[in-house]
Amino acid sequence: MEVCGISNVTLRDFSCEQSLLSRPDGSSSFMQGDTSVLAGVYGPAEVKVSKEIYDRATLEVLIQPKVGLPSVKERSQEQNVRETCEASLLLSLHPRSSLTLVLQVLHDDGSLLSCFLNAACMALMDAGLPMSCLFCGVTCAIAVDGEIITDPTAAQEKECRALLTFAIDSKKCRVMMSSTKGSFSVQELQQCIAISQKASEKIFQFYRDSVQRRYSKNL
Amino acid sequence: MAAGFKTADLLEYYRRFLKENCRPDGRVLLEFRPTTLNIGSISTADGSALVKVGNTTIICGIKAELATPTVEAPGKGYIVPNVDLPPLCSSRFRPGPPGEPAQACSQFIADLIESSEIIQTDDLCVERGKLCWVLYCDLMCLDYDGNLRDACVIALLAALKNTQLPEAVISTETHLPVVDLEKRHGLKVCKHPVASSFCIFDESTLIVDPTDEEENLSTARITVVTEEGDRLCAVHKPGGMSLSGQKLQECINRATVRQKEIQKLTDKVLSSVKTS
Amino acid sequence: MISALKDKVGQILVPGDEFCCGAEDTISLTAHVQPEKVVCGPGLMRSADRLQVCKSGVLRHKEPNMFWMDSQQKRYVPTKGDAVIGIVTSKSGDIFKVDVGGSEQASLSYLAFEGATKRNRPNVQVGDLVFAHFIVANKDMEPELACIDGSGRANGMGIFGEGGLLFTVSLGLVRRLLAPHSEIRSDLQQLVPCELLVGINGRVWLKSSSTQRTLIIANLLQCCDTMTAPQRRTGGRSALIDCPSQRWRM
Repeated sequence: MEVCGISNVTLRDFSCEQSLLSRPDGSSSFMQGDTSVLAGVYGPAEVKVSKEIYDRATLEVLIQPKVGLPSVKERSQEQNVRETCEASLLLSLHPRSSLTLVLQVLHDDGSLLSCFLNAACMALMDAGLPMSCLFCGVTCAIAVDGEIITDPTAAQEKECRALLTFAIDSKKCRVMMSSTKGSFSVQELQQCIAISQKASEKIFQFYRDSVQRRYSKNL
Repeated sequence: MAAGFKTADLLEYYRRFLKENCRPDGRVLLEFRPTTLNIGSISTADGSALVKVGNTTIICGIKAELATPTVEAPGKGYIVPNVDLPPLCSSRFRPGPPGEPAQACSQFIADLIESSEIIQTDDLCVERGKLCWVLYCDLMCLDYDGNLRDACVIALLAALKNTQLPEAVISTETHLPVVDLEKRHGLKVCKHPVASSFCIFDESTLIVDPTDEEENLSTARITVVTEEGDRLCAVHKPGGMSLSGQKLQECINRATVRQKEIQKLTDKVLSSVKTS
Repeated sequence: MISALKDKVGQILVPGDEFCCGAEDTISLTAHVQPEKVVCGPGLMRSADRLQVCKSGVLRHKEPNMFWMDSQQKRYVPTKGDAVIGIVTSKSGDIFKVDVGGSEQASLSYLAFEGATKRNRPNVQVGDLVFAHFIVANKDMEPELACIDGSGRANGMGIFGEGGLLFTVSLGLVRRLLAPHSEIRSDLQQLVPCELLVGINGRVWLKSSSTQRTLIIANLLQCCDTMTAPQRRTGGRSALIDCPSQRWRM
């Protein structure tokens, strides 16, 4: 979709490191500005009989907050991340096995859900699990005056009128996941989606560059 | 014959129906199940409502309690929603602490209350920094047949509109709260958000108000919450197959129509309760 | 399509990248057009008329038309014919359960050893290391191992592992070790004599003249993923020189 009037999407600096942990089968850390998430993937591993699914792998997502125990908020984020990953992974290639994705918050400075998604995607890629496409997360905040801020910081999130997070897939650049807070108009929604799609191009290019860096030793 | 086919390949069974623009229960693609609403069903609660969307049944009870306001917001009361999916409503749910679907739905309702500002939390304050009302909104599912969120939102709204808060003051002599149960007044519900859930089959077919079976077979689910004046207060899609902007617009258009229908229904039921 | 694939050989691809399998844009009317056949290895998948990449990594090519993705995975997924190192975890009746690092334990029949009969059972204990190959491995069935080839010979397979060290490395490194003209292997040969058994499931068993040497080589191999060839050579040499020579002879 083309929307005129989007000049330049500004995202905070992001950085990423893959396979930094030795125990998990795939791991990554993703940083967007000061927001930082560490992800680890285990699998395909043995599955508990109660969770076994006969025709596909069971994916479990665990989100660990920086302090304290996971609460209802984390549960709903887990659901969002899990269902996004399930849609991009080819789970039917590993039936009756379990995949576990653990996301640890290192620091939260806004756009946390999108950082979860980006870290998850990099970790799944690192684990070498079969995927049909990549996905990335983009958070947009609509300020009180109607201005749209991409990748907001915690302070910007607090002041904004509405906060929208989308997961965009790499194949068709369409919306895989959407989670919103606050009220907004239809036009604002479509504008945010268009901006996120634009921002996703940058992120996917970044994904490619970091994979390139990782494989530079055995090219 | 058809029953055998259904058991053998449920997805293909559904696809055949959807190709003809209808569904096994006789609905067309963008048709909701009959929705019934009963207000004030629990006499012991401060406000209550029972909603049936097809077979899905949700009962909502609201209990108001007095508490001290939080330090961050001394001039505000608060609302605590909780969705319960007991083993009674479906074999899928086990007894014990709430599972992920229940917790995710609770969070969704809490986010909705916050983002649509159904109730000005300032109204719940009795005395700044000292006393406020807490509304415990318990949503219990009695029969689970898909589309939990729509039913929950309708039940919550109707129950809030039905809520009668007793009058409370802090007595000047004893400095203790005094509640006058005889004098009650309704809550000021400023917005009327309505949720509409959709499912996507095979990338392209969009259906509204999915049953449990349809939810399990579909590749993606999406819930759009609209208010009066065509504003949106939530577009929730937990994942699944990606969706084009055009399909999303279709969802929003249908949701806007649904909002008007449900608002009319709620108003009608409320006025009938008042007159009787 | 082959030409499009060949252009990308040696480059990084990520999941979601696609190659169109359709006919070429220009078709010669006179020349005889041969249908293109591509053999897809791991990481490449066909869906309808497209070839999809489903793992991130480097695209590799082998003449005439084999393509696959070379990725650095840690978790092993059983494949038929793979020779692996397993650990016997339990004995139940006529079969042994063997842990090979996959999602499920593999089964190994007591008759699948050289010279084994109903009377003459092989002596296998829980905890033993076994070098075997997969005779059944697919996503829908329990994987099955055997320590004999088609003609009933052991061919190097069976129970092993007296006094060596077993450790795990990445699957990418194992494949580099097993490649026909492996640089790492030849470097290692020049450094120090040792016995090396490599399972494609990422497990390596190593034995040399002393424990200390074994440990040095094991550490060196585990670091190989993150080292360039010159770093590897100098690193290996200095590590072995640091090791006091008297102890070598003990």
